Amino acid sequence: MQTKPKFHPNSPEIKAYQNEIAHQFVREGTMVAFPTCLPGMTTPIPLDESHITALDINSEGHVYGGTSGQQAHLFGAAFHGLTGIVLDAGAVPGCTSTAAICCGATRVIAFVNGPQGGRAVGVPYIKLAEDWIQEWGLAPPVLQELGECVAGEPVVHAIAVPSGNVVVGVTTHHLFTMDVQSGQISVLGEAPGRGHLAMGRTGVFGQDESTRLWRFDVASGHIHRADVHLPDGDWTAPLRWARDRNRGLLFTADDAGRLFSFDENKGFRSLGSAHLAPVGPMAVAPDGRLFGFCGAEMANLFCCDTVSGSVTNLGVAASVLEQRRYGYQFGDAVTGRDGEIVFGEDDNGGHLWLYFPKITSTRA
Amino acid sequence: MGSGQIDRRTFMKVSSGVLAAGLAPTVAAEAKAARAVDETPYPVKWYPFTGHLDSDTCWSLSVGPDGRIYAAACAESVPGGVVRPVRYNEQRDDLDYLFNLAEKVDDPGDSGRASQCKIHYSFAPSMHDGVLYMATHLSGPPIDLPVYSPWYSWHDSKRCFRGSALLAFDTRTDQVLWWDTLIPKEGCRCLLHDEERGLLYAMSYPRDHFIIYDLKTRKRRDLGRIGSINPQALFLDKRHRVWTSSDYGRLVRYTPETDRLEISPGLLAHDPNYQTGWHSVFYDVAPSPDGECVYASTWCPNPRLMRIWPNQGEWAKVEDLGPATQPRDLSFPIDMYRDHCGGLTFGGDGKLYYVASRWRDAKYNPTPESRKQNEGVVWRLDPETLKREEVARLEHPTGMAHYVSRGAVDHNGDLFFGHVGNHPSGIFKVSMPADRKRKNAHLPIRMWG
Repeated sequence: MQTKPKFHPNSPEIKAYQNEIAHQFVREGTMVAFPTCLPGMTTPIPLDESHITALDINSEGHVYGGTSGQQAHLFGAAFHGLTGIVLDAGAVPGCTSTAAICCGATRVIAFVNGPQGGRAVGVPYIKLAEDWIQEWGLAPPVLQELGECVAGEPVVHAIAVPSGNVVVGVTTHHLFTMDVQSGQISVLGEAPGRGHLAMGRTGVFGQDESTRLWRFDVASGHIHRADVHLPDGDWTAPLRWARDRNRGLLFTADDAGRLFSFDENKGFRSLGSAHLAPVGPMAVAPDGRLFGFCGAEMANLFCCDTVSGSVTNLGVAASVLEQRRYGYQFGDAVTGRDGEIVFGEDDNGGHLWLYFPKITSTRA
Repeated sequence: MGSGQIDRRTFMKVSSGVLAAGLAPTVAAEAKAARAVDETPYPVKWYPFTGHLDSDTCWSLSVGPDGRIYAAACAESVPGGVVRPVRYNEQRDDLDYLFNLAEKVDDPGDSGRASQCKIHYSFAPSMHDGVLYMATHLSGPPIDLPVYSPWYSWHDSKRCFRGSALLAFDTRTDQVLWWDTLIPKEGCRCLLHDEERGLLYAMSYPRDHFIIYDLKTRKRRDLGRIGSINPQALFLDKRHRVWTSSDYGRLVRYTPETDRLEISPGLLAHDPNYQTGWHSVFYDVAPSPDGECVYASTWCPNPRLMRIWPNQGEWAKVEDLGPATQPRDLSFPIDMYRDHCGGLTFGGDGKLYYVASRWRDAKYNPTPESRKQNEGVVWRLDPETLKREEVARLEHPTGMAHYVSRGAVDHNGDLFFGHVGNHPSGIFKVSMPADRKRKNAHLPIRMWG
């Protein structure tokens, strides 16, 4: 006896379902998965050492990042002009995760963790703007050990202030700063390290006890504990942030995937909700659209119109250019030089994913 | 295509005449061989899954620890379809339908979730206790939907596949001893049993994760992702290392001592004229009887045969044994259901048997209309000389016979092949000539699906 299906193939519901299935991957824009190497010329970072968990971008539009896994690697990447390379600057001995990458004025500071605690590593800016089509030549970068940040505590996150001269970081229990040039670390006091930090117009924000944010005033060097109330929501999970460089707005999400904008002067404003939770890495395109991933294990890309607050599901990541690959888990995101979003894939064999959003309007 | 038509890009190929001239002897040899096969001493018989009319594929066929042939009557295109394991009954010369797997694991076809529709290269024997392990795969839609996507429904608790069900089937008593969920939400593409260590190894789909299941504790470990393109086979070496392949045609090796997955620097066999190694993942892997090497085919257009010596050198010695199927127009991406090689197994005569597809092609294989468009050719390869001979063509009374998933030899020394493409699906038996068969030809047994 044969099984009889229990649906009508021409019903509107079934047609709609089939249409959804047909558009389940990258419904708008284009994804490009770029391996952690010079494709065809060098080997990528090993399979289980290549979970990309931290990214930042410098003023030249070059992306720097760090991985987690059996070993933590630090790398630089460039995708414009004659570049098209991810250059592995090396593994940091004894470290298994990268908590943050900070592009300072003169060099990159990486914050990495391992059994010995959390420490900082200096990475020189790499001369990536070579002719990577025809011929090239550069010496391997030398990583500089800068020491433990706070004795016995892993680094949770860190962020460079706009001048690029100072990095503000947080361990599990302490706030610290580092002078980018000298590498000198100053422990400023106690503050809980939960989730990512956010760079506002004048201060750095971090998740405090309960449902509040602490604020670190960069100019004065003071920590203001419990300075800002988070809006109504579920706020137990570590926070993620994105920053609109043009408007100075910050964006975050609660545990349920509800999105909020944050203006230091006006406070929080509720936007729509991502269709899955938790919300992972996010970044803002120059036109103000917020792109990010939501959902565990098999994340979906979403887009939030930060003016109307509407949120669109853009489906599962897939790349058919450069490398053919599905994308399931992402660790960090930055806005690229020309408005593309660069996502770091937090998975075995992690790639840098360049997302080129759909152009939504034409000039009148 | 009529004789007056020009095939794709012929007008562009300035050297096509040379190419064709070079191929002419090959085609003639194939035609001569085809005539000889009409008088084959390897009679072929088709066994359709008439006891499970939903069945549309047979992805798994293996010899059990009892030396009998087990196959999976899969039903993946039927909403709510479920898989039924079957066994060849040599007394009746017919198939026994063992059980409705979905009922055994309490996940019936009308659950509303993606169904327990198939077993995909996931039979693995256990010799000391006569158990045959089997693990299910996904793709069959819920009973009230026409298709299923594991990506789309991953977060949908109502629709998402419950997970690959692992069953321990006692071939001595015909009882399912126990079952467990091997991989939540995902299917099991292929399964391997390291009997000495009491471990099962599996590849998940769609996320392509490498899974280790401890049979003693019944606990699962997920070692993470390999890539995007599922390898279709795992194999085990004498040092208990588990091998498979990556998206880019490299070996992937799990070493228990280091508990790590590593990727080889070298590439698996592919056609260097136009391929890069991408998608040269394992399709089928058969161990040589002496356990020193394996023979493998790739899941890729123009599949190639390889011989791999896992204990030689730092990263195994890989020998390219050449293409398994015919030349073709390389300017068009051929249907992977047409250009295919599977069913690798050693016979009692110590020769490797496998089935490769062959198809009519106006330029490269202009067989007469009296022959079928697609043929499944049974090849016999001599490991000593690496010469191969065509020994039979699979024949289906009305349908297709060119896509063989897996092959095995039973304890009587006869060949069996699982087939995909007919409805109902089924298996082929290829009786071995008396002088080429032996009792217990299935030993030493293959420990993976």
